[in-house]
Parts: sequence; C-alpha cells; structure tokens
Amino acid sequence: MSRPFVISSLVICLALSAGARTRSHYGGALRIETQSDPWRVPDGIARRLVFDGLTRFDDSGVVAPGLAIRWESQNNNLRWQFWLRPGVRFHDGAALTPAAVAASLSRSCGKQCPWTGLNAVGNSLVFASDSPMPELPAELARSMYLIVRRHDAAQPSGTGPFRVINASDRLASLAANNDYWQGRPFVDTVQVEGNRSLRDQWLDLSVGRADMVEVPPELLHQALQDRLMVLASRPTDLLVLSVSSKGALHDDQLRQAIALAVDRAALFNVIFQKEGEPTGSLLPSDLTGYAFLFPTERDIARARNYRAGANTSPLVLTIENPDATEQLVAQRIVLNLREAGLNATVRPASSEPTADLVLKRIHLEAGDAAAALDEMLENFGQKMTGETRDPEALYKEERDFLKTYQAIPLLYLPRAFAVSERVRDLRLTADGTPMIADASIDGAK
Amino acid sequence: MRIKMRVAGYNPRQRMISHRPPLLLIFALVFLFPAGASGWDNPSDELAKQIAAIAGPGPAKLTMRNRSSLPAEQVPAIRRTLERDLQSYGVIASSSPEVATVIRVTLSQNLQHELWIAEVQEGAEVKVVMVSTDLPATQTPSAGAGVTIRKTLLRAQETPILDVGFISIGDERRMVVLEPEQVTAYRQDNGTWVQDQSFDIVRSRPLPRDPRGRIVVGASGASGHLFDAYLPGVVCSGSESNGRLELSCTDNDGPWPIASQKAFYNATRNYFTGLVAPGYSTQPGPFYSAAEYARSGGTVTLFSRTTGETVLYDKGVPRIVTGTRDWGSDIVSIHSTCGEGSLLLVSAAGAAATDSVRAYEIPGREAIPVSGPMPLDGSVVAMWETADDSTATMVIRKAQPVQYEAYNVSAVCN
Repeated sequence: MSRPFVISSLVICLALSAGARTRSHYGGALRIETQSDPWRVPDGIARRLVFDGLTRFDDSGVVAPGLAIRWESQNNNLRWQFWLRPGVRFHDGAALTPAAVAASLSRSCGKQCPWTGLNAVGNSLVFASDSPMPELPAELARSMYLIVRRHDAAQPSGTGPFRVINASDRLASLAANNDYWQGRPFVDTVQVEGNRSLRDQWLDLSVGRADMVEVPPELLHQALQDRLMVLASRPTDLLVLSVSSKGALHDDQLRQAIALAVDRAALFNVIFQKEGEPTGSLLPSDLTGYAFLFPTERDIARARNYRAGANTSPLVLTIENPDATEQLVAQRIVLNLREAGLNATVRPASSEPTADLVLKRIHLEAGDAAAALDEMLENFGQKMTGETRDPEALYKEERDFLKTYQAIPLLYLPRAFAVSERVRDLRLTADGTPMIADASIDGAK
Repeated sequence: MRIKMRVAGYNPRQRMISHRPPLLLIFALVFLFPAGASGWDNPSDELAKQIAAIAGPGPAKLTMRNRSSLPAEQVPAIRRTLERDLQSYGVIASSSPEVATVIRVTLSQNLQHELWIAEVQEGAEVKVVMVSTDLPATQTPSAGAGVTIRKTLLRAQETPILDVGFISIGDERRMVVLEPEQVTAYRQDNGTWVQDQSFDIVRSRPLPRDPRGRIVVGASGASGHLFDAYLPGVVCSGSESNGRLELSCTDNDGPWPIASQKAFYNATRNYFTGLVAPGYSTQPGPFYSAAEYARSGGTVTLFSRTTGETVLYDKGVPRIVTGTRDWGSDIVSIHSTCGEGSLLLVSAAGAAATDSVRAYEIPGREAIPVSGPMPLDGSVVAMWETADDSTATMVIRKAQPVQYEAYNVSAVCN
C-alpha cells in the first residue's frame, strides 16, 4: 500500500507553501503546457476547464452533481431522469436547457449511446434504454459527455469555470467565468499551450515561462532528481494489449500463450523506472482490492506449451497512440513473444487497420469500481452482464472477460504534473485531472 | 455487507512527491494505528461461513497474508479468530502436507473498504470469496505548551461548515450550524445533538469558491430576535416564534460586524473589501480576518491583510505587526486570564492538508507566541468570535476523506 506517498505529500505541501498565506488569492495568470492538443476529445485539458457534465466525479472519485442537481432511476434502471441545475447559462449567455443538453449528448456518442431514447420533460431529461443502465450517472461524468453548445462552430460555448478568449489547435486562452455555478475560479486567466515537447515544457518551467507541465511516469525519477515539484495521481492509465480473437489468434491457447509470455516486470523495472504497478487486472488495485488475484508473473514454459499445439502466421502489433515510450514497450513485447516461439512485428497502425495485437493506453475516469469496470469493458466492446455491484460479483465479471484473453493488462500508470513554486492548492481529481479552478497563484492580489 | 471494524490508514487519492525524507511517517505509524482485535469478529465469521460453504467440513491448510494497512502485528490475532470461526463451521486448520484443501486468505483493501479475500483451492480448481468492511476515519492527536489551547468538538459532517452558534429558545438550548446553502438547528436529546430544523438559503448569485460566513448571536436585542447569519451577499435573521426557530434571508451586501467594526465583505471573493466603519483615517486594505485585542495600554484592532502582513491599529494609527511570518489568514482573539487580558489565536501559514493554531500575545508591535502550536489534522477554514468572549469557534477541513469539523476553542493557563 502507498502510505509513504501520503506522508510525502504532506511534507512537500509544507515545503511548497512556506511563507504563503492560508487562504487562496484571487487573480493572476496560470500557464500550462502539454504535449497533446488541449482540445483533444475526450480528455484535452482545456475541455474540462470550459465544459461541465451533467454529473462529475468528486476528488475522491464519487459521482457528484454537476449540471444536474439530482437524478433518479426508474423501472429497474431502464429509465433515468436528471433534473437540470436552474439558473445556469452558457458563456455566450444562452440558458442551459434540456434541449441544449440533449443535443450535446447525442452529438457525443452518436449511434453508440448507452441509451436508446432521450427526451426533455420540463427542466429534466429522461434517458431510456432496452437494457438496464445502472452506471448511467457515472457514465455521464466522463469527459466524452461534457455539455457543449455549438452556436459558433469555431468557438463552442460551455458552462465551465473558464470561458474561451481565443482557441486554436495548440493554444487555449481562457478567462475566469465570474458567474460560475461553483464559484469563480481564483486565477483570472489560464493559457494552455499544446503540442509542446517535454523538453520544451521542462525548460519553460525552469525559466518561469510555464506554471504546470507534464511528467510522464517514466520520467518521474528524473523530475525528482531535477528537484521539480511534482503532483502525481494514483494509477489511472492502463497499458494493455488488445488481442484479436479472429484471424491468426482465433485459438484461445495462442492468446493465453501471449498473456503468459509478456514480461510485465521488465516493462515496470526498465522502461517505466518502477513507476505505476504491473497488473493482470483491468482495474487498479486501490480501486478494487482484489487485483492481486489476477496473475502478473511470466511463465515462458507454459507459454511455449500453449504455442506448441497451434499454427500461427507472423503476428502484427500496432500502437494506438504511438510515442517513443510505447514504441519501446511494443518492441520489448515482440521480444517476449519471440522467446515463446511467436513471431510478431511492430507496424504503424495506419498500415494495419486489423492488427492481431494493439497496444493501448486507456485512461480510467471513474473512481468507483463498478463504473470503472463498466468503462473498461466498453473499451473492448463488452458490457457488464450482472447488476450486482459487490466486490465478489465484479471480480467474477472481470475474471470471466479476462479468461477470453482478448485483453492482456500490463501496467497501471499514474498521471503527473510538475508545478512552479507560485502555484498553490492545485490538486488532482481521482482520475488525475488537475483541478485548475481551485488553484491560485501566490503573490496575486 | 457493511461491518464496522477497527482499522487505521487509507489509500491516497493522489500524492505529491518529494526528495525529503518522510518524517511524518513515524508520526503516522505511532499515532494512527489503534491496537486490539475486538472489531474482527463479524468479518471473520462471515468469511469463515463462506469458506465452509465451498470447502465443506474437514481439514484445510490455511495461509494468511496482509496487503492492507493493518499493522502486521495484528495479523496473528485475526488468524486465530478466523481459525476459531472456521472450526465452528467444521473446517479445521491443519499444517499437514497431505490435506487436499488450501485456503489462502488475503487481508486487502480498496478506497472505501477493507476487503478480506479467501482463495479456496482444491486440486487445480480455485474458488474466491470476499467480505468487505467499511474503513473508519483516523484519530486526531493534539498537543500544547505554555498556555494550552483546548478544543472541543461541536459538530463533524461531510458538507462545509461556516460557523456554529448557540441560542436559547425558551429553556432549551439549540446549536445552529451555518452552511453555505442552509442553516440547521440542533437540539439536545439524551446528551447528543439531533437535527431539529433546517432552512435553505436562497440566493440570486453563485457563492464564491471559498465561501465564508458567520453567525452573530443576539446582537440586535430586538424581541424574539436570536441571531444573524452573514454570508457573501446574503444576510439571514433567525428569530423565535411560538417556541420554534424562524429564518428569513435577503440579498444584502451590507457590512458584517467584526472586531467592533462593520466591514464590507466582497461577495464574489473570500475577503473583506477593506472598507470598515467607523473606520480609520487610513483604511486597512483588503483583509481576511480581524480581531480586537485588549492589552494594558488599551484595546487595539488587528487586520490580517490579503497581502500577507498583519496590521495593528492602536488609537487609529496603523502599524505592521512583526513576528507573523508563519501566520495564516485566520486570526481571532479570546479573553484570557493568563496574561494581559487577551490572547490572539492564529492559524498557521501554508496550504498543507494539516494545520495548527497557536496563541500569541502582542504587548508591543511584535507577536510573542505563548503556546505551542496545537496540531490539527485538517486545515483551518474559519475562526470566529463567539458570544462568550473567552472562546472562539474554529472549523477545519479534513482532506481524506473530506470532513468538516467545528470546534469550540479556549485557552487555559499552565
């Protein structure tokens, strides 16, 4: 367990704020740099600042009211009614209405929505489905369901803590929303600059041109050596091998051979510098408490045995969102497979739309085990079958899916950011999203 | 099932990483782990029942490991309890290498619960059963030196508390808790406070992000009037009617009473504007809190400015107080028999998850600490004067899990 991290957090907080005032100051500008597009759907950092969801995850991962003030399950979770928060307006002045919310939600998921019907009733929305939707409040808290008003296609409007001043692919200039329903943010403006290399981000932080930059898990140690002040989440990103059950890998035993051949310890120790946690589970251990029941040890002898009984053509491994680190991971997996007698090559995803193996990094937003499993299974085109939500039922649901070897979990990784000394009260949500609206700048008036 | 049990520690939701040694680890290990095994009976019995349902009666090899925050020294006692419970269902723990059934028990936990997991293996087949129990909150240490600060818990809850006041309706005492969006009155029933009445506060504007508010008891003296509650942009008046509390709230940007002054609060921020009445020839500037401090040369007023320094007005003349480098934004004074007449209670500087309060005297321009810091396992979010001038109300916010606790704070002379 991670008690030392709790203690460390207290120590660094004291160090961060020596001489500071206890209450947060209003004012100032916060400068954030990221590698990705700040508007990337669903989890670009600017989206959470500009848009709200009907529900949200609070900082302990529990579903809390957002633009909906309450909700109610009806007819055994086949129907849900959500009542909108009164008096909320989009940044462009338009009132938040059920029609606007319905239009946004329908755009979010198109034909893949978990509901089959969505209707406005008074100041509420009614979701209906042919199959139960027990996790709908948690589902609606996810980034993909943020409420966006597309009055102006170039500058979509939200209800969030910040409004857009200027937006492009790589830049988001935002200003505090004085009328935000959760209270005006402390800082006056936020500037998010995307498409910045890590090197440039760290350089800008060191010379005072940035206040918050990214720290990938594999560089956490280096960040400490460089004496950066780092804010890291619990494990929120699953590195996982998605395995096709068709074509060359239609044989269960071959897929099991791959699962047994993968050397998670090497990925953990060498590539990720012992950050995160090796996992055989779709969910992080702190969320469920039972992740250890899914084995993570490599068993090359058994892998060879399973391999021996099957014919296979060379396998193709692609990377969903390739970067240098995931290239390394993919190449090491190819070596692992070769030791088990399986030939595989890494190819660009663009050239292989139907690869046998896909290396994915899946960001987990839900902070509750049932909603999290629902979210994870959805990434593999699956749905939860049972409605029971106790740990044993969830374990069995997960175990049954993992026994198909269509997903081979590898590592759970944290999200981390380095911040400048003038930033205070910055915390991360349970899924590692920075809570910028609560942050303030020391020295601001 | 939900079984309350005794346990300490929790998983972090997030961490800050430092190169500094984790000095507080020792503190946590010493203070946060209660001892004893009395809370294990229920989960142990439930787990034993589920194991027996799979394994059936007979001998079994039992192993146990601890992946939770339970101290290792408590594991043997849990094992003995489980062995006893298994035996009551006919499953006998055996060390013989020839037993066919192996029971591997893991004491684990997740963010909300302790989780006791048993893997029951017979041959190659492994079946899993689990029992979960709620994680309780951790304990609070306290300390003091010289003048000792004492705190008495008034109320703990998950939703924010802004201030707490006490009123009397007829012969009965009520505790009034001011929250950002409601006022709740509690009455005593067999020594515990139980909710009596609750009133929503309707407002036309959103609350600021760091909402503050205070209760002033019995200031008006009007018949039936009990208290006023001041919030950003809203003032509520509580009065008695036929033995019941009534509350009326109006949008109102008028000044709040503070330290014998009337001070305008910035309804969209977390501080007073700096405009005070009757005021001074030079106004104090925006401030977080103020306190009236009695000393031998007369009474002075202190303002904790948003810019960091504390300014003292002595006969209308402002002077910067020295020795305040480690002061937070909340100050309040209480009457004391220990020194010159008043003590200033001050929260600590910083934005840490923990905080402290310390007592000071200000004989001149320099603040002299007269107590040790009273450690708190949350950050101070409010300190206000009470109707009884020898005590103050303090509210802290605990982070893991989020909980607000209101205390009555006083000082005793050593």
